[in-house]
Amino acid sequence: MLALYRSVLYLYPEDHRREFGDEMQAVFAEAERSVAVLGASSRMAFYGRELFGLIAGAMEEHIRCLTGIRSWGVLPWRRRAMRSDFRFSKATPVLMALILVAILIAIEKATAIRNSVYPASSVHVGPLHAEHFTFVPSLMLMFACAYLVGMIGWAIVYALHRSGVHRLDGMKGGTE
Amino acid sequence: MHSPLDIELFLFQYVVRRHVVRENMEPLPLSEPVLLILVSLAEAPRHGYSILKDVTAMSDGRVTLSTGTLYGALRRLLNDDWIERFEDEDTSRGRQAYRLTANGRRHLQTEVRRLKQLTRVASLRVAPRER
Repeated sequence: MLALYRSVLYLYPEDHRREFGDEMQAVFAEAERSVAVLGASSRMAFYGRELFGLIAGAMEEHIRCLTGIRSWGVLPWRRRAMRSDFRFSKATPVLMALILVAILIAIEKATAIRNSVYPASSVHVGPLHAEHFTFVPSLMLMFACAYLVGMIGWAIVYALHRSGVHRLDGMKGGTE
Repeated sequence: MHSPLDIELFLFQYVVRRHVVRENMEPLPLSEPVLLILVSLAEAPRHGYSILKDVTAMSDGRVTLSTGTLYGALRRLLNDDWIERFEDEDTSRGRQAYRLTANGRRHLQTEVRRLKQLTRVASLRVAPRER
Protein backbone atom coordinates (compact mmCIF):
# COMPACT_ATOMS: atom_id res chain seq x y z
CA MET A 1 0.00 0.00 0.00
CA LEU A 2 2.90 2.31 0.72
CA ALA A 3 4.04 1.95 -2.90
CA LEU A 4 0.56 2.93 -4.08
CA TYR A 5 0.54 5.86 -1.67
CA ARG A 6 3.95 6.96 -2.97
CA SER A 7 2.72 6.82 -6.55
CA VAL A 8 -0.44 8.83 -5.74
CA LEU A 9 1.79 11.42 -4.09
CA TYR A 10 3.07 12.24 -7.58
CA LEU A 11 -0.25 14.00 -8.15
CA TYR A 12 1.00 16.78 -5.88
CA PRO A 13 3.07 19.70 -7.20
CA GLU A 14 6.77 19.05 -6.93
CA ASP A 15 7.50 21.66 -4.26
CA HIS A 16 4.84 20.24 -1.95
CA ARG A 17 6.10 16.72 -2.58
CA ARG A 18 9.67 17.74 -1.85
CA GLU A 19 8.69 19.57 1.32
CA PHE A 20 6.22 17.09 2.80
CA GLY A 21 6.46 13.88 0.76
CA ASP A 22 8.71 11.92 3.13
CA GLU A 23 6.78 13.06 6.19
CA MET A 24 3.46 12.13 4.64
CA GLN A 25 4.74 8.67 3.78
CA ALA A 26 6.09 8.17 7.29
CA VAL A 27 2.81 9.28 8.87
CA PHE A 28 0.81 7.10 6.49
CA ALA A 29 2.99 4.09 7.34
CA GLU A 30 2.46 4.68 11.06
CA ALA A 31 -1.28 5.15 10.64
CA GLU A 32 -1.45 2.02 8.48
CA ARG A 33 0.26 -0.01 11.18
CA SER A 34 -2.25 1.22 13.74
CA VAL A 35 -5.27 0.18 11.63
CA ALA A 36 -3.75 -3.21 10.73
CA VAL A 37 -5.24 -4.72 13.89
CA LEU A 38 -8.74 -3.41 13.12
CA GLY A 39 -11.44 -5.07 11.04
CA ALA A 40 -11.62 -5.12 7.26
CA SER A 41 -14.28 -2.37 7.12
CA SER A 42 -12.16 -0.01 9.24
CA ARG A 43 -9.15 -0.67 7.03
CA MET A 44 -11.19 -0.03 3.90
CA ALA A 45 -12.51 3.22 5.41
CA PHE A 46 -8.94 4.23 6.24
CA TYR A 47 -7.64 3.55 2.72
CA GLY A 48 -10.64 5.27 1.15
CA ARG A 49 -10.16 8.33 3.35
CA GLU A 50 -6.44 8.47 2.60
CA LEU A 51 -6.94 8.12 -1.14
CA PHE A 52 -9.66 10.75 -1.25
CA GLY A 53 -7.64 13.07 0.99
CA LEU A 54 -4.61 12.74 -1.27
CA ILE A 55 -6.51 13.42 -4.48
CA ALA A 56 -8.44 16.35 -2.98
CA GLY A 57 -5.26 17.73 -1.40
CA ALA A 58 -3.35 17.44 -4.68
CA MET A 59 -6.10 19.29 -6.55
CA GLU A 60 -6.12 22.07 -3.97
CA GLU A 61 -2.36 22.43 -4.16
CA HIS A 62 -2.51 22.66 -7.95
CA ILE A 63 -5.29 25.25 -7.73
CA ARG A 64 -3.16 27.21 -5.25
CA CYS A 65 -0.14 27.04 -7.57
CA LEU A 66 -2.15 28.09 -10.61
CA THR A 67 -4.32 30.82 -9.10
CA GLY A 68 -2.30 31.89 -6.07
CA ILE A 69 -5.42 31.73 -3.92
CA ARG A 70 -4.30 31.22 -0.36
CA SER A 71 -7.53 29.79 0.77
CA TRP A 72 -8.45 27.72 3.80
CA GLY A 73 -10.08 25.06 1.74
CA VAL A 74 -10.93 26.06 -1.81
CA LEU A 75 -12.93 22.90 -2.19
CA PRO A 76 -15.61 21.78 0.23
CA TRP A 77 -14.24 18.23 0.34
CA ARG A 78 -12.71 18.73 3.75
CA ARG A 79 -16.09 17.89 5.19
CA ARG A 80 -15.26 14.28 4.44
CA ALA A 81 -12.91 14.41 7.41
CA MET A 82 -15.84 15.16 9.67
CA ARG A 83 -18.40 12.57 10.58
CA SER A 84 -21.93 13.69 11.22
CA ASP A 85 -23.59 12.42 14.36
CA PHE A 86 -26.68 11.68 12.29
CA ARG A 87 -27.02 8.03 11.40
CA PHE A 88 -29.56 6.16 9.33
CA SER A 89 -31.23 3.36 11.14
CA LYS A 90 -29.89 -0.04 10.17
CA ALA A 91 -33.45 -1.01 9.25
CA THR A 92 -33.59 1.71 6.58
CA PRO A 93 -32.05 -0.34 3.71
CA VAL A 94 -34.38 -3.25 4.53
CA LEU A 95 -37.44 -0.99 4.55
CA MET A 96 -36.36 0.65 1.29
CA ALA A 97 -35.89 -2.78 -0.32
CA LEU A 98 -39.37 -3.82 0.89
CA ILE A 99 -40.89 -0.65 -0.54
CA LEU A 100 -39.16 -1.28 -3.87
CA VAL A 101 -40.48 -4.85 -3.97
CA ALA A 102 -44.00 -3.62 -3.14
CA ILE A 103 -43.84 -1.07 -5.97
CA LEU A 104 -42.66 -3.72 -8.44
CA ILE A 105 -45.48 -6.08 -7.37
CA ALA A 106 -48.01 -3.25 -7.73
CA ILE A 107 -46.76 -2.51 -11.25
CA GLU A 108 -47.03 -6.18 -12.18
CA LYS A 109 -50.56 -6.38 -10.76
CA ALA A 110 -51.64 -3.22 -12.59
CA THR A 111 -50.25 -4.59 -15.86
CA ALA A 112 -52.11 -7.86 -15.35
CA ILE A 113 -55.40 -6.03 -14.63
CA ARG A 114 -54.99 -3.81 -17.66
CA ASN A 115 -54.30 -6.81 -19.89
CA SER A 116 -57.37 -8.62 -18.54
CA VAL A 117 -59.66 -5.61 -19.15
CA TYR A 118 -58.11 -4.50 -22.43
CA PRO A 119 -56.58 -7.46 -24.24
CA ALA A 120 -53.42 -6.56 -26.09
CA SER A 121 -55.04 -6.96 -29.51
CA SER A 122 -57.76 -4.37 -28.81
CA VAL A 123 -55.51 -1.72 -27.37
CA HIS A 124 -55.04 1.07 -29.85
CA VAL A 125 -51.94 3.10 -29.22
CA GLY A 126 -50.85 5.90 -31.45
CA PRO A 127 -49.89 7.33 -33.73
CA LEU A 128 -49.06 10.23 -31.45
CA HIS A 129 -49.49 13.61 -33.02
CA ALA A 130 -47.43 16.68 -32.29
CA GLU A 131 -50.40 18.61 -30.88
CA HIS A 132 -50.52 16.16 -27.98
CA PHE A 133 -47.11 17.32 -26.70
CA THR A 134 -47.78 20.02 -24.17
CA PHE A 135 -44.64 19.48 -22.16
CA VAL A 136 -42.57 22.42 -23.40
CA PRO A 137 -45.34 25.05 -23.15
CA SER A 138 -46.25 23.75 -19.69
CA LEU A 139 -42.65 23.96 -18.61
CA MET A 140 -42.34 27.52 -19.92
CA LEU A 141 -45.54 28.49 -18.14
CA MET A 142 -44.24 26.95 -14.95
CA PHE A 143 -40.95 28.89 -15.20
CA ALA A 144 -42.84 32.10 -15.94
CA CYS A 145 -45.03 31.56 -12.86
CA ALA A 146 -41.99 30.79 -10.71
CA TYR A 147 -40.26 33.93 -11.99
CA LEU A 148 -43.35 36.02 -11.27
CA VAL A 149 -43.67 34.58 -7.77
CA GLY A 150 -39.96 35.25 -7.19
CA MET A 151 -40.31 38.86 -8.32
CA ILE A 152 -43.33 39.40 -6.07
CA GLY A 153 -41.44 37.82 -3.16
CA TRP A 154 -38.44 40.04 -3.80
CA ALA A 155 -40.67 43.13 -3.96
CA ILE A 156 -42.29 42.24 -0.63
CA VAL A 157 -38.92 41.59 1.04
CA TYR A 158 -37.56 44.82 -0.41
CA ALA A 159 -40.57 46.81 0.76
CA LEU A 160 -40.12 45.40 4.27
CA HIS A 161 -36.46 46.48 4.22
CA ARG A 162 -35.41 42.87 4.77
CA SER A 163 -33.59 42.27 1.48
CA GLY A 164 -30.21 43.49 2.68
CA VAL A 165 -30.00 46.09 -0.09
CA HIS A 166 -30.66 48.91 2.35
CA ARG A 167 -27.80 47.73 4.53
CA LEU A 168 -25.53 48.00 1.52
CA ASP A 169 -26.37 51.71 1.41
CA GLY A 170 -24.64 52.15 4.72
CA MET A 171 -21.47 50.38 3.65
CA LYS A 172 -18.30 52.39 3.65
CA GLY A 173 -15.30 51.48 1.56
CA GLY A 174 -12.89 48.94 3.09
CA THR A 175 -15.10 47.74 5.91
CA GLU A 176 -18.08 45.46 6.15
CA MET B 1 -36.39 53.85 -4.73
CA HIS B 2 -33.49 52.05 -6.36
CA SER B 3 -33.58 50.96 -9.96
CA PRO B 4 -32.62 47.35 -10.79
CA LEU B 5 -29.32 48.73 -12.14
CA ASP B 6 -28.58 50.35 -8.77
CA ILE B 7 -29.31 47.10 -7.02
CA GLU B 8 -27.00 45.20 -9.34
CA LEU B 9 -24.30 47.81 -8.75
CA PHE B 10 -24.75 47.54 -4.98
CA LEU B 11 -24.56 43.76 -5.13
CA PHE B 12 -21.44 43.92 -7.29
CA GLN B 13 -19.79 46.33 -4.87
CA TYR B 14 -20.79 44.13 -1.97
CA VAL B 15 -19.23 41.05 -3.57
CA VAL B 16 -16.02 42.93 -4.44
CA ARG B 17 -15.71 44.38 -0.93
CA ARG B 18 -16.33 41.04 0.67
CA HIS B 19 -13.65 39.53 -1.54
CA VAL B 20 -11.14 42.29 -0.76
CA VAL B 21 -11.83 42.17 2.96
CA ARG B 22 -11.74 38.39 3.07
CA GLU B 23 -8.40 38.26 1.24
CA ASN B 24 -6.80 40.56 3.78
CA MET B 25 -8.47 39.50 6.97
CA GLU B 26 -7.64 36.61 9.23
CA PRO B 27 -9.51 33.57 8.01
CA LEU B 28 -11.76 33.25 11.03
CA PRO B 29 -13.84 31.38 11.98
CA LEU B 30 -11.58 28.40 11.47
CA SER B 31 -12.79 25.11 10.14
CA GLU B 32 -13.10 22.42 12.79
CA PRO B 33 -10.15 20.31 11.53
CA VAL B 34 -7.84 23.36 11.51
CA LEU B 35 -9.06 24.45 14.92
CA LEU B 36 -8.39 20.98 16.32
CA ILE B 37 -4.90 20.93 14.80
CA LEU B 38 -4.12 24.26 16.45
CA VAL B 39 -5.53 23.13 19.78
CA SER B 40 -3.45 19.98 19.53
CA LEU B 41 -0.29 22.01 18.96
CA ALA B 42 -1.22 24.50 21.70
CA GLU B 43 -0.48 21.92 24.34
CA ALA B 44 2.91 20.77 23.07
CA PRO B 45 4.92 20.43 19.85
CA ARG B 46 3.76 17.37 17.94
CA HIS B 47 4.66 15.49 14.79
CA GLY B 48 2.17 14.51 12.09
CA TYR B 49 0.98 11.15 13.37
CA SER B 50 0.65 12.47 16.91
CA ILE B 51 -1.55 15.31 15.60
CA LEU B 52 -3.75 12.82 13.74
CA LYS B 53 -4.27 10.73 16.87
CA ASP B 54 -4.82 13.75 19.09
CA VAL B 55 -7.40 15.29 16.74
CA THR B 56 -9.35 12.01 16.64
CA ALA B 57 -9.18 11.71 20.44
CA MET B 58 -10.19 15.33 21.08
CA SER B 59 -13.18 15.11 18.75
CA ASP B 60 -14.23 11.78 20.19
CA GLY B 61 -13.71 10.12 16.82
CA ARG B 62 -15.93 12.59 14.97
CA VAL B 63 -13.05 14.17 13.03
CA THR B 64 -10.56 11.83 11.43
CA LEU B 65 -7.99 13.51 9.25
CA SER B 66 -6.24 11.91 6.33
CA THR B 67 -2.58 12.68 5.74
CA GLY B 68 -3.55 14.70 2.65
CA THR B 69 -5.89 16.88 4.68
CA LEU B 70 -3.42 17.21 7.54
CA TYR B 71 -0.48 18.29 5.42
CA GLY B 72 -2.62 20.65 3.33
CA ALA B 73 -3.61 22.39 6.57
CA LEU B 74 -0.05 22.30 7.95
CA ARG B 75 1.28 23.85 4.75
CA ARG B 76 -1.22 26.73 4.99
CA LEU B 77 -0.50 27.23 8.69
CA LEU B 78 3.25 27.28 7.99
CA ASN B 79 2.81 29.77 5.14
CA ASP B 80 0.70 32.03 7.36
CA ASP B 81 3.22 31.76 10.18
CA TRP B 82 0.74 30.27 12.60
CA ILE B 83 2.96 27.26 13.22
CA GLU B 84 6.63 26.53 12.76
CA ARG B 85 8.87 23.51 12.50
CA PHE B 86 10.30 22.39 15.79
CA GLU B 87 13.66 20.72 16.17
CA ASP B 88 12.64 17.62 18.03
CA GLU B 89 15.17 15.04 19.21
CA ASP B 90 13.26 12.33 17.38
CA THR B 91 13.43 13.52 13.78
CA SER B 92 14.15 10.03 12.47
CA ARG B 93 11.83 8.32 10.00
CA GLY B 94 10.61 11.62 8.64
CA ARG B 95 9.25 12.72 12.01
CA GLN B 96 9.08 16.48 11.86
CA ALA B 97 7.51 18.20 14.84
CA TYR B 98 5.50 21.40 14.67
CA ARG B 99 4.56 23.97 17.27
CA LEU B 100 2.43 27.08 17.51
CA THR B 101 4.03 30.45 16.89
CA ALA B 102 3.08 33.49 18.96
CA ASN B 103 1.01 34.64 16.01
CA GLY B 104 -0.80 31.30 15.83
CA ARG B 105 -1.46 31.30 19.57
CA ARG B 106 -2.93 34.79 19.35
CA HIS B 107 -5.26 33.74 16.54
CA LEU B 108 -6.25 30.62 18.43
CA GLN B 109 -7.03 32.65 21.54
CA THR B 110 -9.18 35.00 19.45
CA GLU B 111 -11.06 32.04 18.03
CA VAL B 112 -11.53 30.46 21.45
CA ARG B 113 -12.90 33.74 22.80
CA ARG B 114 -15.31 33.91 19.87
CA LEU B 115 -16.46 30.34 20.50
CA LYS B 116 -16.86 30.98 24.23
CA GLN B 117 -19.00 34.03 23.59
CA LEU B 118 -21.07 32.11 21.05
CA THR B 119 -21.49 29.17 23.42
CA ARG B 120 -22.53 31.46 26.26
CA VAL B 121 -25.18 33.19 24.16
CA ALA B 122 -26.40 29.90 22.69
CA SER B 123 -26.62 28.33 26.14
CA LEU B 124 -28.66 31.22 27.45
CA ARG B 125 -31.07 31.25 24.54
CA VAL B 126 -31.41 27.59 23.68
CA ALA B 127 -31.19 25.80 27.01
CA PRO B 128 -34.44 27.14 28.59
CA ARG B 129 -36.47 26.08 25.54
CA GLU B 130 -35.16 22.54 25.73
CA ARG B 131 -36.66 21.99 29.16
